Amino acid sequence: MLSTLAYGLTIGAILYLVSVGLSLTFGTMRIVNFAHGFIYTLGAYLLLTFLPFSGGHFWLSAAAAVLCTIPVSYLIERCVVRRLYGVSIDYAIIATYAVVLIGVDLIKWVWGATPKPLADPIGIELTLFGVTLPAFRVVIIALAVVVALALWLFFKYTVVGKIVVAALEDKDAVRGLGIDVDRYFSYVFILGSCLAALGGVLYAPITSVHPYMGFMTLLISFAVVIVGGLGNLKGTFIAAFALGILMALTGRYWGAASEAVVFVVMAAALVIRPIEV
Amino acid sequence: MKHEVDPARPVTRFRWTPLRELGAIAALFLVAVPVLGLDRSTDFIIFCIFVLGFDLLYGHMGRLSFGHMLYFGAGAYGITLFAEHVSRNPILAVAAGIGAGALVGLALGPIIVRTTGACFALINLAFNQIGYFLAVVALAKYTGGEDGMSASFARLGPLDFGRKPVMFGFALACLLLTFYFLRRLTASPYGLLVKSIKENEVRVKFLGYDTFRYKWGTFVISAGISGFAGALAILNYAYVTPSFMDPNRNVEVIFASLIGGPGSLYGALTGGVLYMSISNYLASYIPHWEMFLGIALLIAVFRFRKGVWGFFADRCARRAGRP
Repeated sequence: MLSTLAYGLTIGAILYLVSVGLSLTFGTMRIVNFAHGFIYTLGAYLLLTFLPFSGGHFWLSAAAAVLCTIPVSYLIERCVVRRLYGVSIDYAIIATYAVVLIGVDLIKWVWGATPKPLADPIGIELTLFGVTLPAFRVVIIALAVVVALALWLFFKYTVVGKIVVAALEDKDAVRGLGIDVDRYFSYVFILGSCLAALGGVLYAPITSVHPYMGFMTLLISFAVVIVGGLGNLKGTFIAAFALGILMALTGRYWGAASEAVVFVVMAAALVIRPIEV
Repeated sequence: MKHEVDPARPVTRFRWTPLRELGAIAALFLVAVPVLGLDRSTDFIIFCIFVLGFDLLYGHMGRLSFGHMLYFGAGAYGITLFAEHVSRNPILAVAAGIGAGALVGLALGPIIVRTTGACFALINLAFNQIGYFLAVVALAKYTGGEDGMSASFARLGPLDFGRKPVMFGFALACLLLTFYFLRRLTASPYGLLVKSIKENEVRVKFLGYDTFRYKWGTFVISAGISGFAGALAILNYAYVTPSFMDPNRNVEVIFASLIGGPGSLYGALTGGVLYMSISNYLASYIPHWEMFLGIALLIAVFRFRKGVWGFFADRCARRAGRP
C-alpha cells in the first residue's frame, strides 16, 4: 500500500512538471498547447540520442536534452503560437495539434517508430519505512518539489514573474501599463516547454520511449490543469500529486482503468465548478 | 442588389430552391459512382454526413469538438447492440444508432456546453478517451473489446442492405435528408440564434435568451447526426471495431471541415469529399501522411481560413459584383 503511494507520488511529480507549463500558457493566453506533448516526447528522444555521446552519463545527457528543446519551443512559439494570440482559440488548438502531427512524424522518421527501453540511470534501491523504492523515483519527486519551490520564488520575487502573475489576473491592465505582455508570455511558454521536456526526460527510464508517449500524458496533464484551476500554480501542484496517487491506486486494482479515472475526476470537477467563459 | 440589370439576360433567372439543391447533390454523387465505385461512394457519403454533424457545432455554433468520434462510435455500437439484442430491422437499428449518439450528447451536454474554446475541445477529447476505454476494456464483454463484433441485419421487404446498390441509395437518401434538415435548421430563427452565439454569446444572453438551452440542443443534434453517420457505417460494413471510436481519428473530421469551409453546409460536403479523396487516392503516394496532414492544417489555419468552398464562394460573389 505504501509503495503504491510512493509510485503515485512519482507519477504526480512528472504530471506536475508537464502541467505547470500547460497551466501557465492556458491561464495567460487561453491557448491549449498540444505541442507541449511533442516537446515532452522530443526531450525523451534527445536524451536517448545524447546518452552514447556522454558515455552513458544520464544527468549530463538529460541537461543537454532539456537545453536542446529550447530552440524548438522558441520556433514553435515564434512561428505558430505567437501569430495566433487573440485570434481564435480554435485555430490555436488546430495549429498546435498540426505541430504535433508534424513533430511525431519527424520523430518516427529520425528515430523509428518502435518503442525503445531505457535502463534506470541510478540503479540503487532505497528502503524507507519498510518500502523498497528505486532511488531514481525519489530523485524525481525531490526534483519536482525543487522546481515547485523555484517557481514559487520566481513568481514572488523576480520582475518577470510578477508581471506574469499580474497578467494572469488581468492581461489588459498590465498591457495598459505599457508592458509588452506577449514577450513575457513567450518567456513563460519556453519555460513551460523546458519543464515538459524535463518531465519527458525523467519519465523515459520508467516507461519506454515511443513517438506517441506525449499524447496521453498531455491529456492527463490537461485534466490536472482543469482540476487544479486554470493558471493556479498551487492548485496545479496539489492536483498533480493527488491525481498521480489516484492513478497509482486505481492501477493497483484495475490497471486498465488508471487513465480513465483521471477523466472521470475531471468531469466531476467541471460539474462542481463549471468553467463558464 | 447594386449591379444593373442586363437587358440581354432573361427576366426569370435560375434560382436555387431546396429541391433543386438536393437534386444537384444527388446528381453529383450519382455521377461520381462510375469514377469512385459504389463502395467508395457510400463511404464518401457517410463521411459527409459525419462532417455535416460536426460542422453544425464547429462552423455554426463556433465550438470546436476534439472528440466527435465518441458520438460517431456511440452510433456504431448503438446500432450493433440493438441489432444483436433487440431487432434486426435496419431502419429501427439506424434509429437506435441516432438515439445512442443523441443520448450520449444529452447526458454529457450539460457538462460540456458550459465551457468554450480550448476547454470544450479537450473535454470532448477526454470523454472520447473514456468512451474508448469503455468500449475496449470495461465493457468488452458486450462490445467484443479489441476484436469488435459483427452485426447482421434483416431484409426490409425487397431491400437487402447487404447489397451495395441498395446501401448506396439508402446512404444517399440519408445524406439528402440530413442536408435538408440542416438547411431548414440553419435558416430558421433557431439557427440564426445559434450563429449569433458563435459571434457574441454575451449579447445573446443580454437579449434575454437562455443560451445554455440552445447550446445543449445544438450539441444533442450534432451528436445525433454523428451517431447517424456511425450507424450507417456499421450498416455498410456489418462489423464494429474500437477504431470507430478511436480518439486519434478526430483530426480527420476537423481537417475535412476546415479544408472545406466551416460554417457552410456545402463547405462541409466539399470538405468531406476532399478529405476522402485525399485519404483514398493520395495517401498511398504520400510517404509521410501525418506530416502532410499537419502541414495542410497549418496552411488552412494561416492562409486559407474559409476553406475551398468559402474561397470559391467569395470569388463568385466578387465576380457577380456583390460585396
